Amino acid sequence: MDTKDQRTDMSSPGAMFPDNQTLPPDPELSLETGIGGVPPQVALSQKSTTPFQDSLRRLRRDKRAMISIGVIIFFILLSILGPLIYPHIGGTYQSDLNGVVPATQYHSFYHQELSRQDEGPSGQYWLGTDSLGRDILARLMQGMLISITLAVMVEVIDIGVGVFVGVLAGYFGGWIDQFLARFTDIMFAFPGLLFVILLTGIFGTSADDYLSKVPIIGPNGNARLLLVSLALAFTAWPLMARYVRGQTLQVKESQFVEAAKTSGTNSARIIWKHIIPNLFSIVVVASTLNIANTIVGEAGISLLGLGVQQPGSSIGLMISDGSGVIDSHPWEVLVPSIVLALIVLAFSFLGDGLRDAFDPRSKD
Amino acid sequence: MVQFLVKRFIGLLFVVIGVTLITFIMGFYAPGDPIKALLGQHFNPVIYAQLRHTYGLDLPGYQQYWNYLTHLFRFDFGLSYKFQNRPVWDILKDGVPVSTELGFWALLIQVSIGVPLGIISALKANTWVDTTNMAIVLVIYAIPVFVLAVLVQVFIVWIDKQTGGSWPVSQWGNPWQYTWSDITFKLAPILVYAAAGLAYLTRLARTSMLEVLRQDYVRTARAKGMQERVVIYRHALRNALIPLVTVIGLTLGILVTGAFFIEQIFNIPGIAGITLTSITDRDYPVIQATTILLAVAVVFGNLVSDILYTVVDPRIKAE
Repeated sequence: MDTKDQRTDMSSPGAMFPDNQTLPPDPELSLETGIGGVPPQVALSQKSTTPFQDSLRRLRRDKRAMISIGVIIFFILLSILGPLIYPHIGGTYQSDLNGVVPATQYHSFYHQELSRQDEGPSGQYWLGTDSLGRDILARLMQGMLISITLAVMVEVIDIGVGVFVGVLAGYFGGWIDQFLARFTDIMFAFPGLLFVILLTGIFGTSADDYLSKVPIIGPNGNARLLLVSLALAFTAWPLMARYVRGQTLQVKESQFVEAAKTSGTNSARIIWKHIIPNLFSIVVVASTLNIANTIVGEAGISLLGLGVQQPGSSIGLMISDGSGVIDSHPWEVLVPSIVLALIVLAFSFLGDGLRDAFDPRSKD
Repeated sequence: MVQFLVKRFIGLLFVVIGVTLITFIMGFYAPGDPIKALLGQHFNPVIYAQLRHTYGLDLPGYQQYWNYLTHLFRFDFGLSYKFQNRPVWDILKDGVPVSTELGFWALLIQVSIGVPLGIISALKANTWVDTTNMAIVLVIYAIPVFVLAVLVQVFIVWIDKQTGGSWPVSQWGNPWQYTWSDITFKLAPILVYAAAGLAYLTRLARTSMLEVLRQDYVRTARAKGMQERVVIYRHALRNALIPLVTVIGLTLGILVTGAFFIEQIFNIPGIAGITLTSITDRDYPVIQATTILLAVAVVFGNLVSDILYTVVDPRIKAE
């Protein structure tokens, strides 16, 4: 019954993106299916595969997940390489207000060219300009960079704290397990984003005052991001810890841990050598799904005016800027909205694909 | 059953007290001196001391918290920092009917469309009905509510331009009144607001129904030669609805955070919208009050679903 369900789940993306069918067949993909189709006896005689390799193969066959990986890589490259290349494209421009403006200036995310507001896409401004005459593509790339940076920051804390508490709770039980159970109960009953809004609403302005001098993340209205990332991580880690705890409980009962115990290995070494490596798949799946939440969270907080401040850029801030001119220039709000939707869809599809690949029995 | 409910009630009370403590601590350590900001240019040590006393800020922290907590039971959320002597409740109270109206309709639509949609999907599993249904729902589920709201606004503005109409994309009519002009204001925000939770409920209803259809008693009912209609409505559906009851609390959580985005984007004067304005004014007591109100709403929803759970699932009583 389960396998049947799995197959129907896999087939659904095909119906969703009919374009997939028209794409040329990926040679690597068909090669993989070829190996998968070989009877087990033959496969055994060649080379045995680890469960991890099996999972990777399942993932590679999941078209939706593979397209999502492509989309994610494209956006990451765009946000990192784009700001290095884009300012050197396009010649100088004779502005009525600012004199001669080089591309390095008008292709920066904060430069306002007030004589060129609300322009459509052109050779000079690839995605047009916003209502302050700022380059939309440059702002979009900066916004995506913010999203990715924040996602990395939140995931580092989320994985660090979640794995630490989850392993201790699962392995030793006792008061730390009790604490985790009670704490997650509270966090699940209390909507996380409300906490983030409360925290940034009260401490946002003082974060602007104190953190704006911090190098790299401080300037350009990004001072509050540190606060936002801490708040998002704080609401995210209990779920990670709960997953890790469950997995730890399972691994703890396995025979190799028992063997290690019998041969006198101490707890620290068992956790480090036997438990942690077995948490890999669950941590990867949970954090991929959490990245989608984090990116939405940051964009939402910035949209409410509590995250990135002007002249900085964030996808949420761009949506909020663009919604002011929705009647006359809907383009300005559509660009960031669609990009955000694509990024979020890609991460959730990848997360679903990873879950199906690493745990084929999982049901949704 | 009573024991179960009492246990849950105590647990939820614990959550509410935890929330008040967190919001209080944040307000207590909030940067800046609110009274100094209130007086601004007219600073005068005597008035300053007087005001500190009025706001209860001259008391030690634990006493302030105790007062805060006891006042909460009387629906007294303290005084606004921005408008001298104006209670926070006075600022928020106009927004309450708007926000509850928005939430009520969204919840109603979520449940009355989402659940049947999921059930139909499960009954028609693996046909084109199910696949298209779940594909649409999956996209709606993944896309953030504010992106959906913006896309709907762009669409309405575009339609307006094509037809020369003037369907509004911001503001809210008169709360709880339904003339045609009120409906034009309310329809779009309510539908967008409902969409996020709807997708969640549909997915859950489908899974739950599929699970039940696999059970032995459904097979037995069919084997007995019972009419398919009776099997589905009497045996399967009733059991499939049980887990759905428990997620009412969860969908309320989605609604509560969604309120901030919907009210911001559609410019609706609900409590979330009012709160966002007070954040810019550094009127912290308003943010604290809203957080507590919304958290209590979510906790109350959890309690209601617990009670409903014991009503619809007799197995709980047996334990």
